[in-house]
Amino acid sequence: MRRGSSKKSGQSNPSVNSSAADLFRSASSKANSKELERIDSLFYTYANGSSGLIDPEGIEALCADIEVDHTDLRILMLAWKMKAEEQGYFTLDEWRRGLKALRADTVSKLKKALPDLEKEVRRPSNFSDFYSYAFQYCLTEEKQKSIDIESICELLTLVLGSTFPTQVNLFVEYLKNQNDYKVVNMDQWMGFFRFCNEISFPSLSDYDPELAWPLVLDNFVEWLREKQK
Amino acid sequence: MQVTLGCLRNAYNMVLQKFGEKLYSGLVTTMTSHLRQISQSIESAQGEIFLEELNRKWVEHNKALLMIRDILMYMDRTFVPSSRKTPVHELGLNLWRDVVIHSNKTQSRLLDTLIDLVLKERNGEVINRGLMRNLIKMLMDLGLSVYQNDFEKHFIEVSKDFYCCESQKFIESCNCGDYLKKAERRLNEEMERVSHYLDPSSESKIIKVVETEMIENHMHTLVHMENSGLVSMFVDDKYEDLERIYNLFRRVPSGLTIVKDVMTSFIRDTGKQLIMDPERLKDPVDFVQRLLDLKDKYDKAITLAFNNDKTFQNALNSAFEYFINLNARSPEFISLFVDDKLRRGLKGVGEEDVEIVLDKVMMLFRYLQEKDMFEKYYKQHLAKRLLSGKTVSDEAERSLIVKLKTECGYQFTSKLEGMFTDMKTSYDMMQGFLACHGAELGDSPTLSVQVLTTGSWPTQSSPQCNLPSEILGVCEKFRSYYLGAHSGRRLSWQANMGNADLKATFGKGQKHELNVSTYQMCVLMLFNNADRLSCKEIEQATAIPMPDLKRCLQSLALVKGKNVLRKEPMSKDIAEDDAFFFNDKFTSKLFKVKIGTVVAQRESEPENIETRQRVEEDRKPQIEAAIVRVMKSRKILEHNNIIAEVTKQLQARFLPNPVVIKKRIESLIEREFLERDKVDRKMYRYLA
Repeated sequence: MRRGSSKKSGQSNPSVNSSAADLFRSASSKANSKELERIDSLFYTYANGSSGLIDPEGIEALCADIEVDHTDLRILMLAWKMKAEEQGYFTLDEWRRGLKALRADTVSKLKKALPDLEKEVRRPSNFSDFYSYAFQYCLTEEKQKSIDIESICELLTLVLGSTFPTQVNLFVEYLKNQNDYKVVNMDQWMGFFRFCNEISFPSLSDYDPELAWPLVLDNFVEWLREKQK
Repeated sequence: MQVTLGCLRNAYNMVLQKFGEKLYSGLVTTMTSHLRQISQSIESAQGEIFLEELNRKWVEHNKALLMIRDILMYMDRTFVPSSRKTPVHELGLNLWRDVVIHSNKTQSRLLDTLIDLVLKERNGEVINRGLMRNLIKMLMDLGLSVYQNDFEKHFIEVSKDFYCCESQKFIESCNCGDYLKKAERRLNEEMERVSHYLDPSSESKIIKVVETEMIENHMHTLVHMENSGLVSMFVDDKYEDLERIYNLFRRVPSGLTIVKDVMTSFIRDTGKQLIMDPERLKDPVDFVQRLLDLKDKYDKAITLAFNNDKTFQNALNSAFEYFINLNARSPEFISLFVDDKLRRGLKGVGEEDVEIVLDKVMMLFRYLQEKDMFEKYYKQHLAKRLLSGKTVSDEAERSLIVKLKTECGYQFTSKLEGMFTDMKTSYDMMQGFLACHGAELGDSPTLSVQVLTTGSWPTQSSPQCNLPSEILGVCEKFRSYYLGAHSGRRLSWQANMGNADLKATFGKGQKHELNVSTYQMCVLMLFNNADRLSCKEIEQATAIPMPDLKRCLQSLALVKGKNVLRKEPMSKDIAEDDAFFFNDKFTSKLFKVKIGTVVAQRESEPENIETRQRVEEDRKPQIEAAIVRVMKSRKILEHNNIIAEVTKQLQARFLPNPVVIKKRIESLIEREFLERDKVDRKMYRYLA
């Protein structure tokens, strides 16, 4: 394992001075604890001093550093890996969890870990969990159970747009044009994912509205069939 | 042959001396040759003599056989069995069969002649039945297979052809009723024929032929015959024809099914036409009466002509259930019908006849899928009847409630009964009030109050309106009296439900008594102190909501014969600046003029839509409760099964829409009463 890390220019590092860093480097502590400390110190480079959390500003800074746009799906994947609870914020525990799992204790390692992270998320066994996480992550208020149509459309495009482009585009179009639903809940969100995975498109031949599909999908299919005529 | 004692002894001796074989074969030879002669003589008989000759010779042969058997009795008992020979009598019959009957010429001639006679008889000629009977019996005596092969088989074949042709001929020339009469006649004929000269075993066979050829093969043609088929029989109440078709068609497979199906689809179409006819729908009472008449018509047909057949009863019921529910306003109309009967239709009608009408209403009620809609309207209409005092018979009202309770359970009628209780309590309350305060009331207007328990009565929140000062005093007295007896309760005057009698004097001194609604009273009393009032001014003075006020002013100023107010300008609509005047020139032939409308009426379209929305809203919690009940007991259930169970639970009140059920399930999932099973997405799981 490569020892030592060179700090990238442009980083502010107020709380750790170079002599302390040398001290740590020279001490013969376990690699693990060193890694943990680096992870922690990385955390504090982005965290907000008063709240002790990385806030949206900090996240934006992080994004700039790892050269990923803050609306990129990979940030969401990172949040998933961290099991982050609140959108726009990372706590120390979450940060530690995520970066430790990725074995990334520097910005460049973090950046390099992203492609593997993406592969991991896209594995079928994980993707379903990621998909439902994406919904929950967007629930900002305490008792909130559903998300408005506008946001859902964006989220859907972000999360599923590359995997099921046709279905997503059509569903988004449907949602924007209909009047029955102003919000979408978790059940409906998951239902759509099942729909994409199980129903053949564009034939829709195996869709049965008398089964337990959420009503919004029954209406979507009816809309599609009308459109196809 | 002459029998002598000598013959007997000789025969006996021959057998004893072991000459049985010789005796037996001698018998065979002799008889055979004798029979050959007879056969020839029969064959040569001309024309009609043939049968008679055959018969005569047969009779003789039988006599002879008896004698021979007697003579050869010893041989018959000893030699014959031990050498396994055919017994004498049987031998005699077999020889007759083989030599005489089965001689080439005779066999076919006999058959042809017999058949010919039958056909003649079918064509109306008289034949010698005795002769026929004897000869048929002869064939039977010769053995069942002889009868069947030599006669019956061909008889049946020929009959088939005969009836095939005849039925074809009749179908082309007769109408349904006449055809059926002819078929019935032929059936009877054939049965009679069998009983007279054929073997009983042929009866079922020949009957089957007639049934198949005349009825079964033409079932559809008959039933659908234009102007005379089943449908026109129903239309013209041809009970005799209907009875005949029932009795004939029940003999053949699927016969009654066709009758039942045609009847069902005709009733459905008739009903559907009735339901869709916009003219009919304008008068709900007439509409329902027509439904009842239609039911009576078919009930009568089934009783008189179809033997009260249960499958037909069921078909009638399902047809009615089908088309009554096609009209979304059926519940309302049936309630209006009941309202009409209980308000005036049953006036003077005897108790038993009242029960009959109410039972008929219940019968229609049972067909309704949306019983909760009916309940809503029934409640509204009942309230109006009770409050306006316009019910023909208290017993009739109560009797109907009891019937509804029996049908639907206590919950359906508990509120209705509450309404009756309120009426009684109010009456007692008024008596108490008058006893207590009667003296002081003196010249005040006579007040009659009904205190309604909120929740039992159909709710229509009535914003307060300003009651005329003339009655405020007595109203307050009542209020304090009541609250004195029942502290802790709250009373609010329902200005949209009351009525008043006003004594009015017009321009030339003519006096009338006006029966008006509370709102109308408030408006009219204003004119005691003002000559001219604008609509807006009236609104401000009375605080009646504008839409209600407009309706009220319309009824006071724009209805011919009831225009106690005059409006300027004279337009049809009410504008807020319009001016109103007391109509000095009002005239009416009647002393008592009724202007208020508290009578139940057919709802307008917008009102109808609103009622339906309210009912749909009421149904949502009921559906949810049913879903939760089902899931609580089953714990995990598949989607289709939930739909089925919930539908079953609710069907006594209404038929839930599967889409609505699904929506409720999703709502319950969101509120975490249920969840989808993680493994099998078709299943739902109850969350305790």
